Amino acid sequence: MSMDGQGEAPLDGNAAGGRLRELFALDMTAAEIVCDGCGAVAEIGAVGDYGGAMGAVLRCVHCDTVLLRLTHTPAGLWLDMRGTRRLFVAAVSS
Amino acid sequence: MPAISATAVAPRRLQWMTATVRDVVDETPRARSLVLDVPDWPGHRAGQHVDVRLTAEDGYRAQRSYSIASAPAAATLTLTIERIGEGEVSPYLAGEARKGDQFELRGPIGGYFIWTPDLGGPLFLVAGGSGIVPLMAMLRQRAAAMSTVPATLLYSSRSHDDIIFRAELETLAGQGRGFKLVHTLTRERPAGWRGLTRRIDRAMLESVGYPPKASPRIFVCGPTPLVEAAARGLRDIGHEPHLIKTERFGPTGT
Repeated sequence: MSMDGQGEAPLDGNAAGGRLRELFALDMTAAEIVCDGCGAVAEIGAVGDYGGAMGAVLRCVHCDTVLLRLTHTPAGLWLDMRGTRRLFVAAVSS
Repeated sequence: MPAISATAVAPRRLQWMTATVRDVVDETPRARSLVLDVPDWPGHRAGQHVDVRLTAEDGYRAQRSYSIASAPAAATLTLTIERIGEGEVSPYLAGEARKGDQFELRGPIGGYFIWTPDLGGPLFLVAGGSGIVPLMAMLRQRAAAMSTVPATLLYSSRSHDDIIFRAELETLAGQGRGFKLVHTLTRERPAGWRGLTRRIDRAMLESVGYPPKASPRIFVCGPTPLVEAAARGLRDIGHEPHLIKTERFGPTGT
C-alpha cells in the first residue's frame, strides 16, 4: 500500500511515523496522545494526518482539533503541539 | 533501580539507506513487488513500513511511505506497490523501477500497526485493495513461525484479477493451519463466482469475523472510507476499540 500524504486526502498518524522519528528518539505511532480540545485519548497511529510534502498535521478524529503540526523547512524543523494536552509513551517501546 | 534495556537507552536513529532493486514481480495488472537489497537492514516487525525518498536531478525531493510485504524472517525486503493516481513516487516504484535501480529508504517505522506471534489472537485481518500488504507480512510471519493462532482475512477487491497475492493466500488457506480466507469482489466477478459481492459492512464483519467475547486482535488497512466503515462496524458489533488497529491511505476505489 502507499500513503501519499498529499492534498486533502486524510491519512493517519502511521504515515507520520518517520517524520516524527526525526525529532523523537522513540517510535511515536503507538504513543497515546490526549486532545486538548475534547480530551479524547488515541494512539498517534490512529489519528488523522492531513500533512503533505512539508510535514505532518495530526488532527483529533473526534473534534478535528489540530493536535500536532510538524513542518520541515530549509531552515529547520518546526513543532507546534498546542493542541496536545499530554503524550504517553509506554516503557516497552521501540 | 531496575536495569534499562539497551534499546530504551540508545534507540537507533533513523538513517536514510540505499536500496537496490534485486527483482521485480508483477502481482496484478496494477500492482507489483520490488524485492530489495538493503545492506545493514536492521530487521522489522510485521505491519511496519518504510519511507521512500526520490531525488530529482535538480535536487527536488519527494517522499512517501510504503508498507513492508515480506515477513521479518525473509532474506530480502519486499515492498508491494499499486499504481494509484498521479503521485510523485508511486508511478516510479510501481511502473518504471528496474532491476539494479537504486533509491533511498529509511525504516522500519511504526509501533502501532504491528503483530508478532507472541501477541496471540485470534487474528482478524480486514483489507481493501493494496491494504493487504502489511497484513500479508503478518500472515507470512504467522506461517514462517508455524503459529497456530487462528486467523481470518476478509479481503475486498474490485475484481478477481485485482486480488494481490491471490495464489499465495489460497495456498496458505489450503494448508489448514487455522487460516480462513474470505474474498469480496465489489465491481466485477468471474462467471460462477459464489463468494461475497458487496462492500464490507457490519453484517459481513459479524458473520466472517470472531465474536467480541473471543477478544480478537483486529487490523484494518485500506482506503480511508473502507477503514472508517469497518472500524465503525466493528465497534458497533462490540469489539473493544483498543483491539482495533487501523491504517488508512488516500482515496481510491476498491
